[in-house]
Amino acid sequence: MPESIIKRYYDGLGEGRLVARKCNKCGAYTFPPTTACEHCGSFDQEWTELSGRGSLLFVSHGIAPPPNPRFDEMAPYAYGHIILEEGVTVDAIVKDVEPTPENLQALFESAPVDVEADPVNVKGLNVLAFKIV
Amino acid sequence: MSGELRDRVSIIGVGCSRFGDLLATPELVGLSLQELAAIAAQEAMEDAGVDSAEIGAVYVGNAMAHSSQLPGTYSQVSKWLGMQFKAGVHFEAQCSTTNVGAAMAAMAIAAGVYDKVLVVGFESTLTKPKELSPYERERISSEQSWMWTDYAVNQAYSVPQGYDIFSVYNGLVAQGYCRKYGYSIEEFDHAMFELCRTRRLHGSMNPKAAVQETLEDEAKRLGYDDPYEFWTSKQNPFVAWPSRIRSLVTACDGASAMVLSRSEAARNTPNAPVELRGFGISQGDLPWYAKDPTLWPSDRIAFQEAYAMSGIQPEDVDYLHCHDCSHISGICAAEQSGYLPAGEGLRYAEQGRLRFDGDRPMSTHGGRHAFGHAWAASAGSDTYEAVKQMRGEAGKRQIHPAPHVSMIHTHGYAMISTVLVLERS
Repeated sequence: MPESIIKRYYDGLGEGRLVARKCNKCGAYTFPPTTACEHCGSFDQEWTELSGRGSLLFVSHGIAPPPNPRFDEMAPYAYGHIILEEGVTVDAIVKDVEPTPENLQALFESAPVDVEADPVNVKGLNVLAFKIV
Repeated sequence: MSGELRDRVSIIGVGCSRFGDLLATPELVGLSLQELAAIAAQEAMEDAGVDSAEIGAVYVGNAMAHSSQLPGTYSQVSKWLGMQFKAGVHFEAQCSTTNVGAAMAAMAIAAGVYDKVLVVGFESTLTKPKELSPYERERISSEQSWMWTDYAVNQAYSVPQGYDIFSVYNGLVAQGYCRKYGYSIEEFDHAMFELCRTRRLHGSMNPKAAVQETLEDEAKRLGYDDPYEFWTSKQNPFVAWPSRIRSLVTACDGASAMVLSRSEAARNTPNAPVELRGFGISQGDLPWYAKDPTLWPSDRIAFQEAYAMSGIQPEDVDYLHCHDCSHISGICAAEQSGYLPAGEGLRYAEQGRLRFDGDRPMSTHGGRHAFGHAWAASAGSDTYEAVKQMRGEAGKRQIHPAPHVSMIHTHGYAMISTVLVLERS
């Protein structure tokens, strides 16, 4: 029975793991994982995990109420642009930052700051999120 | 891949409805989507001086089937355009739809399959059919409309994990721009104010724009003598810090259309044809950029391809439209195109150089903020404006001298970067 790549990713988050794929042709990471390498198009990839450590480059926020009702109770939340130590960039929720202009201005002035993955379960779905360390 | 059109193709007619609200805008109230599409198609065909017998195929674009509830769009809408029994297709490239349609039409014409193709795009972002009524529509909430719109982006990983267009398209890009080029947040805010003033000025001179009130008049109406005090007030909140709500799209309803023809078969048109010299199309789903939010690979590739196919250089471009439902992302795209120097876009905006009477005019119809944004129809509205400008028919907002070469860049959500190059024949 085939296993959904998407499900494997979300299941990984539930265990605190960032499941990725590494290309056997060009060596690049595809995260989150897809059927083909997003850099060279090769289907020859192997499973791997990323460290979850990275740098928060910029952080802003979304709207409330949010388009996706899953996040009704969280919005508005801080949403950041992060580069992981493996060189992969991701956009994700940043926990424990109240998205006021003052807080975001302070983070803009102090960034980049170190972050690490800290997935959160939102209404039954494991979701990638980061916390400042 | 030749990367060229093997026959010359021209846009010989353009049409566009008023953009606005099917439940409130006087020119639109009570219209069905079929009728809305027909307004644009009829104008384009009359502008081209052609009737349905001369049209070889019809390409009908609509992005958000949840609000249109018109699957089988090409056949359902063709019936209302006098296009029964024509070849065609329903297609969508989200907010690049109509201009991707122009590229598809150009390829079909250059391949010798058709002499003339009608491209139509229509959208309602504000309404949906009321209880299956054939003619009554009802309001949809903003968050509902955005959720349906967001179906177009990374449904595996981004939307389910809290993705929000306003941060990724606005706030993060703004911060990236400020840090890269040394602007303070206050300088950014003031430049966005000036850019909004320009867009709203253009909208005030365009009877088809959704928003025709200048920013200054709106400020006065809401009790502010100083428009910048209004800009920084709670009436203009941050939607994705440091971007405010008036640096964003105005979602609305509308339709656009164009008739494309083999250039050799367009010698006796009532209005001057505009040649489609080339195009570039590239896409990249989220994330749209790597470490630097100001540089989007899909934009870079689309511009490169359009320049290569058309054989022009950035210095040849007299008028540029960039997809500006995020004002700062539109500035980044303009810099990527070479129309504006890197890092100078905010200064150009601040100095009014992007106005219709400036030396680098952009978005003279009012852009996504003032003209409004009706997803699948908007790229066609940008082409409509470019053609009108190139013919000298843009009225009070006419660029002088009329542009000889225009470039139109659009972002089809998620993210289909599309660039057309037009040249006055």
